[in-house]
Amino acid sequence: MPERRPKIIGFCCEKHGLDCVTLAARSERQYDASVRLIRVPCTGRVDGMHILQALEDGADVVFVLGCLEKNCYYDTGSIEGRKRVEYVKGMLAETGIEPERVEMFNASSSMAWKFHDIVSSMKDVAERLGPIRPKGGGSE
Amino acid sequence: MIVAERKPLDEIAKMIAPYEKVAVIGCRSCVAICLAGGEKEVNMLVSAMRLKNRKDGRKQSLDGFVLERQCEKEWVKEVEEKILDSDIVLSMSCSLGTQTIGDMYPHKIIVPGLNTAIFGVPEEQGVWSEKCLGCGDCIIDTTGGICPIARCAKSMLNGPCGGSSDGHCEVNTDIECAWYAIHERLKLQNRLELMEYVRPPKNWSTSHSGGRRIIVKEDAKLTPHQKRGREVLE
Amino acid sequence: MKRKIQVVICRVCSQGVPVLDVDKLAKAASEAPYVCSVVTVDYACQSKTISSIVEDAKTKGADRVLVVPCSKNDVSPSLFQAYVRRGKINEFLIETVDLTNEVILPHREDPARAQEKAETRLAAAVARLAALEPLEKHEEPMRTKNLVVVGAGVAGLEAAQVAAGHGLHTILIEKTDRPLKAPGVLLSKSRLVRTKGHGGNFELVIQAGEKQETLECAAIVVASGGDWSEGKGPLTKACKDAMPLFRLKDSVDNGTLPSGPVVIVDTPDPKGSTMKAQDFAWDDALDLAMSTKKASPERDVTLIFQEMRVSGLSELTYREAAQLGIRFIRYDKKNPPTIDKKDLKRLTVRDLAQDEVVSLRFGTLSYASVPANPDNIEIADALRIPIALDGGIRRGSMQRGPVTTPRPGIFVCGSAMFPKTESVARAEGKAAGVLATQFVAPGTVEYGGAVAKVTPEKCSACLTCVRTCPYEAPFIGAAGKAEIREQLCQGCGMCAGICPSKAIEIHNYTDEQLSIETEAYLRGGF
Repeated sequence: MPERRPKIIGFCCEKHGLDCVTLAARSERQYDASVRLIRVPCTGRVDGMHILQALEDGADVVFVLGCLEKNCYYDTGSIEGRKRVEYVKGMLAETGIEPERVEMFNASSSMAWKFHDIVSSMKDVAERLGPIRPKGGGSE
Repeated sequence: MIVAERKPLDEIAKMIAPYEKVAVIGCRSCVAICLAGGEKEVNMLVSAMRLKNRKDGRKQSLDGFVLERQCEKEWVKEVEEKILDSDIVLSMSCSLGTQTIGDMYPHKIIVPGLNTAIFGVPEEQGVWSEKCLGCGDCIIDTTGGICPIARCAKSMLNGPCGGSSDGHCEVNTDIECAWYAIHERLKLQNRLELMEYVRPPKNWSTSHSGGRRIIVKEDAKLTPHQKRGREVLE
Repeated sequence: MKRKIQVVICRVCSQGVPVLDVDKLAKAASEAPYVCSVVTVDYACQSKTISSIVEDAKTKGADRVLVVPCSKNDVSPSLFQAYVRRGKINEFLIETVDLTNEVILPHREDPARAQEKAETRLAAAVARLAALEPLEKHEEPMRTKNLVVVGAGVAGLEAAQVAAGHGLHTILIEKTDRPLKAPGVLLSKSRLVRTKGHGGNFELVIQAGEKQETLECAAIVVASGGDWSEGKGPLTKACKDAMPLFRLKDSVDNGTLPSGPVVIVDTPDPKGSTMKAQDFAWDDALDLAMSTKKASPERDVTLIFQEMRVSGLSELTYREAAQLGIRFIRYDKKNPPTIDKKDLKRLTVRDLAQDEVVSLRFGTLSYASVPANPDNIEIADALRIPIALDGGIRRGSMQRGPVTTPRPGIFVCGSAMFPKTESVARAEGKAAGVLATQFVAPGTVEYGGAVAKVTPEKCSACLTCVRTCPYEAPFIGAAGKAEIREQLCQGCGMCAGICPSKAIEIHNYTDEQLSIETEAYLRGGF
């Protein structure tokens, strides 16, 4: 059986978030291929529901990437996004699931290094925690 | 409006743990508006519970529905099948909706997903403050439109008490002293003489102290003659 | 709806430095549901190829297209135009997948996983595309070509000058009645009262002298400037002859500067509860320190600040200033500069860099701070634009719109945001003038498309969307349900994300479409 790879889903805003991803690609540095991006116009569009559903559908970790809070294209969108992420983190903690599985990040279009950091930190979390399953083993 | 808050998820999980089929029912009325039990919250709760079940290795099916108003039988009827089909109903409405379903289907187990808290006013997005206790005999005509029953920790009729300092309440200094607010309001309205008016002891029988209250509006109530079908026979 | 998808893979580009197996990719795509045709071409941007692939879409009866080009910005716009005009395909049903930046470049060293990721990416894009709806955009003609400039300072005049040069009718609103040479109309002793409408067709009410006038305009530039009055704070209280920068400049220019060292602090109120952009030491503080030092090199000049912000190439002057012998002292709020009670010409501060307490005698004390213009509040209220916590007009994202406000059609420049030097203010004025011209030039406002939509039956009129939207697009209509002013909606989807009744959806980013994409990803390999 091949080694299990982490499943990382990222909700990425189409403005600074995507700029940051493109810049990361153009920087010629490699990052882990386990990350899949879902585009949203703004992180304010992300509903806690989308994050929970991604976890339900089998993602190990989910991150949301938006503009810097004081530099958001849609003025207050990334603040909204952060609040949703925090709420979901609270819900996960209450259900006994590690809240680190969900994280909010902010970047501006000039932060080329940021996306590599995001992917590697989320990958670390995913590898440490593995898929959501009963304690003491069992399959997915 | 009625303001409620979601119960902690582990408390909810404990209530529904022994059952296999759970119907989660929300409400589009007050609890949707106070962001506690609308469609969004119902979906998120169902999703979080499924994740928890996966984590805990528990088999349980959860389905979410949202009603227009859970406190009205006609709306509840719309999901009757789902209710009857489930092992337990988790009601994400205020206690009124929970009890409506409970009274309609007495053999069904129904548990509350929310703590019904206050009659509150949205002060700003996400902040609700209590402004009425439902005493059944409103006196705010003499208090500048500010209710001391709900807004004073001691429900004083003739305040303020000695604990009022700098406009804050001694019970919780984050909260404004209701009687300070009344004084300021009356001053603004040039009606300060009302501060000297002594309000006689209140007749609390119109409040919950008088026992469970039932409000009847005779002109709205249907006569037996107007009622059709089952209700007449009952 | 038929939901037939044509997938166009640009071979040269998707292959990149040979990382992906394009044939395998095309085969995987052709097996995806709803895909009716997969075309691999060598150059998707060549005009000959364009007509053949559009023809292919027509014959196969495709109603939606997925283009896999080199990168989104590299696709020739004529390809999209050809699809819309000749292929009769709705512009919202043409999507692109940027494999170059998402897969090829960052995973070049692992071709096997790159291939797998590219296939999943494509599958998810196809699934999403199949769930999209065709949308329409609408146009509304602009009734005027007027540009209103609020404030006739350096930035405002420059903006008006530039816009007038491009044929806009400029109307300058100026608070004072100082004589000015300005293009277009100058309304002296006037101020904004309120605005109605949206970018392209604003309706302003202006108080001009004694009478109120209504005025239609297509765009607005806010150039209200800073508050060039004297600052107040503990330092000015203790040292009565402390002067703002512009008076220091006057005395340096006239040669009336008293003898003794010169100290320039950032703000007269160093303990102020919030750090304001207006309180940063800025270009002029540095420039003035330099010119003072140059005028009399033997004089000690010290610059004391918490934050320093200079723009553009002015950063190069730091070194020059250090070489000239200007002393820089950075402090923090815990140990702010204070004036000795007994010796009113002595200032004490803890230097963060050296971690030592410095005590300075000065002959002249000046401060850099230029408070935010108090009129900003009135202007922001009238225009319904946000104001920053420090009282300046808030601009949009720094990279994507340094002189725009969040409200389309309203631009901001100069010290209205925070203090600027004359040259920066002029440059920003020019930028705002050009952007306003660009905005007005088409003569129409486009709206609609991927914007928010309300399902009235689900709406509880809870006002959550109304309070959340930064653009004031949702309102509760006559039917007692939320409605969206499409002209104002920017399509960010904050309302859709927060609606407790799930009554709002954002076109092309609906909950369903997003979850279809998520599922498609998680079904695929990782």
